[in-house]
Amino acid sequence: MSMVRVKADDRHRVSLTVNGRRRTGHAEPRMQLCDFLRHELGLPGTHVGCEHGVCGACTVLIDGRAQRSCTQFALQAEGTEITTVEGLAEGETLNRLQAAFRDHHALQCGFCTAGILMSATHFLREVPAPSEAEVRDMLSGHICRCTGYDSIVRAILSVAGEGGT
Amino acid sequence: MNEFVGRALLRREDAHLLRGEARFIDDVPEPDGTLHLGFVLSPHAHARILEVDTAAAAALPGIQAVLTGADIAAHVQPIVAEVEIEGYRRHGRDVVARDLVRFVGEAVAVVVAEDPYVAQDAIELVEVSYEPLAASIDMEATTAADAPRVHEAVPGNLVFEGRFATEGFDEAFAAAPHVLKERFKSGRVGGVPLEPRGCLAVPEPGGALTFYTSTQIPHMLRTAVAKYIGCPESRLRVVVPEVGGGFGTKAQIYPEEFVTAALARHFRRPVKWIQDRREELITDIHSRDHIYEVEVAFDGEGLVQALRSRVRTNAGAYSTLPFGCTLETTGGARMIVGPYRITNYAYVAQAVVTHTGPVGAYRGVAQPSCYMAIEGMMDRIARHLDIDPAEVRLRNMVPTAELPWTNVVGVRYDTGSYQESLRAAMEAIDYEGFRAGQPADRLVDGKYRGIGICSFTEVSGTGAPGWRARGLVRLPGFDTGLVRVEPSGEVTAFVSHAHAGQGHYTTFAQVVADALGVDFADVTIIEGDTAAVPYGTGTFASRSAVTGGGALIRAATKVRDKMRRIAAHILEAAVEDVVFEAGRAHVAGVEGHGVDMRRIAETAYAMNELTLPEGEDFGLEETDFYDPPLVTMANASHIARVAVDAEDGRVEIEAYAVVHDCGRLINPMIVDGQIHGGVAQGIGEALMEEFVYDDEGQIQNATLLDYLLPTAEDIPDITLGHIESPTIDAVGGFKGVGEGGVIGAVPAVLNAVGDALSGLGIEIATKPLRPSLLAGEIRKVRDGSAS
Repeated sequence: MSMVRVKADDRHRVSLTVNGRRRTGHAEPRMQLCDFLRHELGLPGTHVGCEHGVCGACTVLIDGRAQRSCTQFALQAEGTEITTVEGLAEGETLNRLQAAFRDHHALQCGFCTAGILMSATHFLREVPAPSEAEVRDMLSGHICRCTGYDSIVRAILSVAGEGGT
Repeated sequence: MNEFVGRALLRREDAHLLRGEARFIDDVPEPDGTLHLGFVLSPHAHARILEVDTAAAAALPGIQAVLTGADIAAHVQPIVAEVEIEGYRRHGRDVVARDLVRFVGEAVAVVVAEDPYVAQDAIELVEVSYEPLAASIDMEATTAADAPRVHEAVPGNLVFEGRFATEGFDEAFAAAPHVLKERFKSGRVGGVPLEPRGCLAVPEPGGALTFYTSTQIPHMLRTAVAKYIGCPESRLRVVVPEVGGGFGTKAQIYPEEFVTAALARHFRRPVKWIQDRREELITDIHSRDHIYEVEVAFDGEGLVQALRSRVRTNAGAYSTLPFGCTLETTGGARMIVGPYRITNYAYVAQAVVTHTGPVGAYRGVAQPSCYMAIEGMMDRIARHLDIDPAEVRLRNMVPTAELPWTNVVGVRYDTGSYQESLRAAMEAIDYEGFRAGQPADRLVDGKYRGIGICSFTEVSGTGAPGWRARGLVRLPGFDTGLVRVEPSGEVTAFVSHAHAGQGHYTTFAQVVADALGVDFADVTIIEGDTAAVPYGTGTFASRSAVTGGGALIRAATKVRDKMRRIAAHILEAAVEDVVFEAGRAHVAGVEGHGVDMRRIAETAYAMNELTLPEGEDFGLEETDFYDPPLVTMANASHIARVAVDAEDGRVEIEAYAVVHDCGRLINPMIVDGQIHGGVAQGIGEALMEEFVYDDEGQIQNATLLDYLLPTAEDIPDITLGHIESPTIDAVGGFKGVGEGGVIGAVPAVLNAVGDALSGLGIEIATKPLRPSLLAGEIRKVRDGSAS
């Protein structure tokens, strides 16, 4: 792979697939991926909590893997396939994981929720029948300041081992 | 009728949050031409500003303006927290510093840019020359005679002092056979909501301004912003989008909000500011940072005969809006008596200023700290007399049979379950069983294992008299409900609160549905828009269920009465014979002779062939207010069981039980969520969270890598039970629950660690209990006993 040469003050085309659709936007080299998704592509469901990779709120799926979108540049996402929280529900219907969050009161303010949903989606594909300890270990990469986590653990366990999300 | 209140209905707000469709402050669509602000922050705790060179920043392409404190002063008056209590010293604050900076993070200049990334570039280019000055950082040393002065208006850096003593206190204290004394230090923490703050001010035609902001107090914020930027209040509309956690941190009116609103008017363009996490950690209000020196005098049975406290709270550099800096101080001194029958009490309560970030109201306010002190003393009494700590508490508590009871500082406890909640929590965690198997040295399987209790009263739903008693004469206390039946028969209810995750759209709809006698599905709740909702106090201090619930019940009752009058006219029956239930009015005992709500509503809006009763006005809406009594007192008992690793000092919470009493439950699922979340914050506060300043006032941990928040691996399973003792003093029977989780968790965890280490003679009187601290204490004892 050859190094793409970019100039700092130019806006560059970024083409990628987001939630199943081909999308193209423009970004300066320094633009964070989270800002690109939110402000350039108009998908504000991904939230920015700390901008230094700790809180996990901005997590999205990049080529199927849960990753922080605040610690990478938009240009790095060229050609990738990204899923954000807006891509989870099937039309008007919440997917099983989302419905489980509602049923278990696994969100209060909802600011951290998008990132947790994305991490849990990836996690349950990798570990379809996790133990509670494994769920808590995965969740420890996210900060929720409202719920105390228990309800989130219950929600994730409730859909585990039942044919995925 | 009680059809919806009390049910664990799922939340209406969840679907759009889960789909990523909710709009938080940074998601509100920006109008074309929006300007973005960036704040240049002081790197010094105390310094004179010699010069602010804006030339390089102003020359940057995409920069509209770079403004100094003097420039901003032309648009925003200095803000003053108007606390009216004896012993308080008023002082002002420039929203952007002009001459002196008084804490690391205080704003000294503002850049106005076409793009938020460019704003960050410009911040780097503003050259500020400072003359650094000696700073007062330590909250004890700040009142020394030679300490650097924080404000000219605050001699000796003592910004408030209040004293209280009951008659005959000294005699009562002297007469008791036992006295114990301790000094408790409660470290400085923050609410740290996951969403940082932000605001967007949009000029409207005719000189009006729509101000979107992430706040818990839209109406009070509107009044303050209008006043300090000189905008007619009637032309200012405050709109609250979804708020990503508040916890009191957003029940403040911050400098950036005044600046953003003022500059939108000045430039006649939309202006936006979004905070980053570092700014959140160093400029949002911090909380706690208290010292309690407590002396308790007691008899041989462990009954408290007299209590003396010296409470000192660190206000930081400025008293803030709207609560000032005495809420923590007066709260700590007044609430410390808790559920106990303490009749002889004396306090000295002081707030001091230092060159550190401003301190304000975070979930629990003073209560986690003052209960750390009194509950710590209950354990010390127990150890001193060799009585079980639970038994000492049970003996000192006000028994339910003696309620209502007025405590020593004049607060009435109308109903409650102090002993019952403790006994139930003991049963839930098998307290007796654990004690029976606990060795004197507390060492089990290589770890020190202990159990700790916190039983407490929780101030909630404070009304105007409660705020007046603490000097906050400009804090209203009441909230407002407006209930409207639309021509379609659907119900829209407006309430003067602003949620940040509490589920108001669900819980208030439950309350209105029952009060009106309609289906939950037909009620829509609207809040957080000053153009739509009548004035009220807002959401903080565990008040929404009490004040908003009360106001909505009163308004709904008036609407229901009007529907009955209209129905009586239609049915040609006497009003007193007409009942309204399940969306329909009928003559009592004759279900078939009735009229549905839609037809009543059409009649009220003159949209059918029927007429209104003589003298009845058109429309079907009523507004009412509710100002509850002094306070509405909830209560709870928390018990934590912990294991302390003797080598590395780490604390693991092995079991946790809560029995809470917030009166009548509106939605048990949401109440449980409030308690779980509060306990998690309390565990964080007890074991890991603390803002650390060095001697020069530099904050040492202004990232989330260093300011540790609890994760899913730190929080145990919680066994949760409820007792319902509906309040008899407030409409609806509800008591608040927002803060109880954190209030109980901090002392319970500290006391459990204290119990675990009691065999070593280690007393716990500080927080947080970092592993290094505990490991060091354990090592000291072991090394001492080995030598």
